[in-house]
Amino acid sequence: MRPNIMRTGLAYLMLAAAAILILFPFWTALSNSLMTESESATYPPKFFPTSLNLDNFASVMASIPIIRFIVNSFVTSGIITIGNLITASMAAYAFAFLRFPGRKLLFALFMATMMIPWEVTVIPNYLTVRSWGWLDSYAGLTVPFLATAFGTFLMRQFFMQLPKELMEAARIDGCGHIRIFASLAVPLAMPGLATLGVYSFLNHWNMYLWPLLITNTENMRTVQIGISMLQFAEMTAWNLVMAGIVLVLVPSLLMLAIGLGRLVGGLTTGALKG
Amino acid sequence: MLDKSSAVPVKSGMQRTRSAVRQPRRTRHWHEYALAVMFLAPSILLFGIFLFYPLIKSVYLSVHSTTPRGDVAKFIGLRNFEKLFDSGHFLNSLWVTFEFMLFTVPTSIVLALILAAICRTHLRGTKVFRFIFSLPLAISVSTGSVIWMVLFHPTLGTLNYLLQAAGLPAVQWLTDPNWSLISISIMTIWMNLGFLFILLLGGMEGVPEDIYESAKMDGAGPMRTFVQLTLPLISPTIFFASVTSMIGAFQSFGQIHILTKGGPMNSTNVLVYNLYQDAFVNFRFGSGSAQALVLFVLILILTIIQFKFGEKKVHYQ
Amino acid sequence: MKFKPFWLRKWSLLGMSLFLFLAACSGGQPSQGSEPAAAAGSEASSGPVKVVWWHSMSGELGKTVDSLVKQFNDSQKDVQVEAVYQGEYDEGLNKFKAAMGSGSGPTMMQTYEVGSRFMIDSQAVTPMQQFIDADKFDVSQLEENILSYYTFDNKLYSMPFNTSNPILYYNKDAFKKAGLDPENPPTTYADVEKAAKALTKDGQSGGSFPIYGWLMEQLLANQDVELLNNSNGRSALATESMLNSDAAVNTLTWWKKMVDDGVMLNLGRKTDDTKKAFAAGQIAMTMDSTASLRGIVSSAEGKFEVGTAPIPKPSADYEGKGGVIVGGASLWIMNDKPEAEQQAAWKFIKFLTEPSTQAYWNVNTGYFPITKKAYDEDLIKENMKKYPQFETAVKQLHGTKIDPATQGAVMGIFPEARQLTETAMEEAINGSKSPKQALDDAAAQITQKLQDYNDSIAQ
Repeated sequence: MRPNIMRTGLAYLMLAAAAILILFPFWTALSNSLMTESESATYPPKFFPTSLNLDNFASVMASIPIIRFIVNSFVTSGIITIGNLITASMAAYAFAFLRFPGRKLLFALFMATMMIPWEVTVIPNYLTVRSWGWLDSYAGLTVPFLATAFGTFLMRQFFMQLPKELMEAARIDGCGHIRIFASLAVPLAMPGLATLGVYSFLNHWNMYLWPLLITNTENMRTVQIGISMLQFAEMTAWNLVMAGIVLVLVPSLLMLAIGLGRLVGGLTTGALKG
Repeated sequence: MLDKSSAVPVKSGMQRTRSAVRQPRRTRHWHEYALAVMFLAPSILLFGIFLFYPLIKSVYLSVHSTTPRGDVAKFIGLRNFEKLFDSGHFLNSLWVTFEFMLFTVPTSIVLALILAAICRTHLRGTKVFRFIFSLPLAISVSTGSVIWMVLFHPTLGTLNYLLQAAGLPAVQWLTDPNWSLISISIMTIWMNLGFLFILLLGGMEGVPEDIYESAKMDGAGPMRTFVQLTLPLISPTIFFASVTSMIGAFQSFGQIHILTKGGPMNSTNVLVYNLYQDAFVNFRFGSGSAQALVLFVLILILTIIQFKFGEKKVHYQ
Repeated sequence: MKFKPFWLRKWSLLGMSLFLFLAACSGGQPSQGSEPAAAAGSEASSGPVKVVWWHSMSGELGKTVDSLVKQFNDSQKDVQVEAVYQGEYDEGLNKFKAAMGSGSGPTMMQTYEVGSRFMIDSQAVTPMQQFIDADKFDVSQLEENILSYYTFDNKLYSMPFNTSNPILYYNKDAFKKAGLDPENPPTTYADVEKAAKALTKDGQSGGSFPIYGWLMEQLLANQDVELLNNSNGRSALATESMLNSDAAVNTLTWWKKMVDDGVMLNLGRKTDDTKKAFAAGQIAMTMDSTASLRGIVSSAEGKFEVGTAPIPKPSADYEGKGGVIVGGASLWIMNDKPEAEQQAAWKFIKFLTEPSTQAYWNVNTGYFPITKKAYDEDLIKENMKKYPQFETAVKQLHGTKIDPATQGAVMGIFPEARQLTETAMEEAINGSKSPKQALDDAAAQITQKLQDYNDSIAQ
């Protein structure tokens, strides 16, 4: 009995310590966002605001179009996510159910593209997008990311786990591939689509280098760029910067709450059980 | 963390490359072929324009010098590559990138493993802890970096205050070249912990409960169960996690751009940041492309090594 | 912010008449008032011409920029200026490079002084001189110290907008406590060191200078030392960096020694970090731009009194030699925009150089007025009374002897050279290299990059 209690105690101690370490930066952001400017830059640093000062949120919204940034990020990640779902499930269906010459080779090629880190292609892609006049546009932000090898792979895994009998029955009933794809395979692979969707949304929500390179107007900036611009200022007011961060964190936290469960199981089953 | 997609056990997927559906021969042959083209066209087109073409263009750019406007000036052969390897600058970048990987990847995976292992047990309140540990997932690189910038402030920052309150000397987190990379690593580990925690927890929950039950019956303690049972069973997940984190570390850019700009003394000048500076600050697309190609080869080698050595030890269900 | 509410249009009529009135008042150059009116006639049919202005003014400075733009937009209806903040100077220039040739760039761009050579070599700009000549604009009203920086081959390529120089900020209360005379700030390297020693106590450090290449450049110009060959790159393209001169080694050795002795802190490159520490009373001296004056004074309010002094010289022997380089930024007009748009930008630039605009700008930011007449404006006179600290900066500017050293170095790779300088400063201060070694290495690298650059534009 003894070692058990000790062990439980130790476990809780570790959990608590880890929780404090992980939460502390969040707390710093939240408490600073409620402070006045002089409170936020004193020594010793204050851990609690003396009053609930909500003005910071108003003034940060007045000084930068933060809502616009959030909308931009939503639109960008949204378009990419939908695009990924469409291209990936189409390609995956072809690889899973269609027979055509060179299929193995092509699939290997698809998989090989996962080895090309995106940064390697950033210079030519930037030149391409610039020459098309796509700087400062949603097209420039999204189109280069619409296809995904990882997504194709993930969806193919899901398709291949579908019961074979079902597919065969559909074939015998005279269904064409397009119908099978649209009304059987895709609906049945919904869990896979959801996983891919959450994954792709989160990933592209966090894009930094690409939007930094191709957005120039304030109206096209995504959250990531908008927020980082806040701190490049002369005499940064920390309380305002933190208020901006808290505002940006709200949608992220909401997305996390909604998408969390999906991501936990889906990624492991999809990606790892071959 | 820009793109985790580059990391997936390829082979495991390939093992199943056989048609799942049996169908009448020949009759639908051409029809199917046309369909396949249609289904694959969007992806192939996009990959062609934004992946394969750029790769070729990179090779072209890497053997040229460029004007201040970024246009190709003249053919200079392999001089860009020679310069890269001659200057200590690029080699330093390579080393920094390697160190950064070494600091972040094992630490964050071990931490995430421990936390996930404790959270998998049926202690009271683990639900709350699960939520807390997954919170960093909501943090993006820019928000995370800005928060830590405040924590790291050399004289007003909370971290130094706490150190001094504990009677320790203050640390110049981002301005001491001996510390800067460690500081960036701490921030990165914190930021990535959420994703790894969820990934590993998911892997552990995928292990059927009765396996644990029977281990318990056999009188195995939690430590032994973890080492002898859980670890091997979730090894594919750990493998996946390590590949993604490694590539994530290789691609780190945002936190360096915001916190240190590669300094002090280039102590945090990782490859991708160096590439960015060369190409988009100093407008030398040629040598930037040369760096990109070196980066490509390195990641390729790294991935191949991982699959060669990693896959053997990984236990697939 | 982008869309002008319709009710503003009524006001713009009023504003227009006000503008004409002001233009008439500024006198001396009849062309200034008549030329825009003529332009207005030809473009009235197509609505206002839109001018996109990229700038690097954030925080309080950014707010002032926005209000200037608003004043201008409300004052007439031919031109609508849209100001877009593009991050600090480095970032802004990167953005500009990235947008070059894409058509998504600005009509008008604010770039820091060290970006000048690059801007010229980029061949993306219309020299300001063309507008000046066509418009017979009188430049003699502008400060020649400031103009001299931006004049290349006897042509003014860009219009100076915000100029500043570095000054020494010190905490008067801390000086008193340490037994130093708060009205007699240190002027030589030795004095600064002595003061720093006396000020270091009770958890307070004597001071901290941010690792900022600009400060190094200024300290050298202040000894009348050139940074590049070929008269600082002004008589011909520079081919060699002289960053490793004795004066530079001396200066860096002095700086490093104070850090080694523990009487100065090294708080890194971010000037904001140093300013915050100064405002919090943790360090007693710092060097920073005059543009930070308001911010520093107001954040120290209620805590201590801020004093300012010229930046130090190595010894009293240097009295009367050299001076500060005009720092800050200027405005460039891009040549890939339609003529009408460029003319509209020029019109806005003229508005910005008016004495009253300059007075408003100076009072709200701490940047110098670029027009001598601005000092006659009441706004400035009052402000000088309120912030007597600003006198230091004006004296320092006017005390500067103009020669290639104080006109400032010119090179296309200046931003990169500055970074290399900063790395060298870090190496010396952190002790990984001796100051001489660090500067030798940096100079060699800069020389190499200069040659590569010269090769690439020779095509």
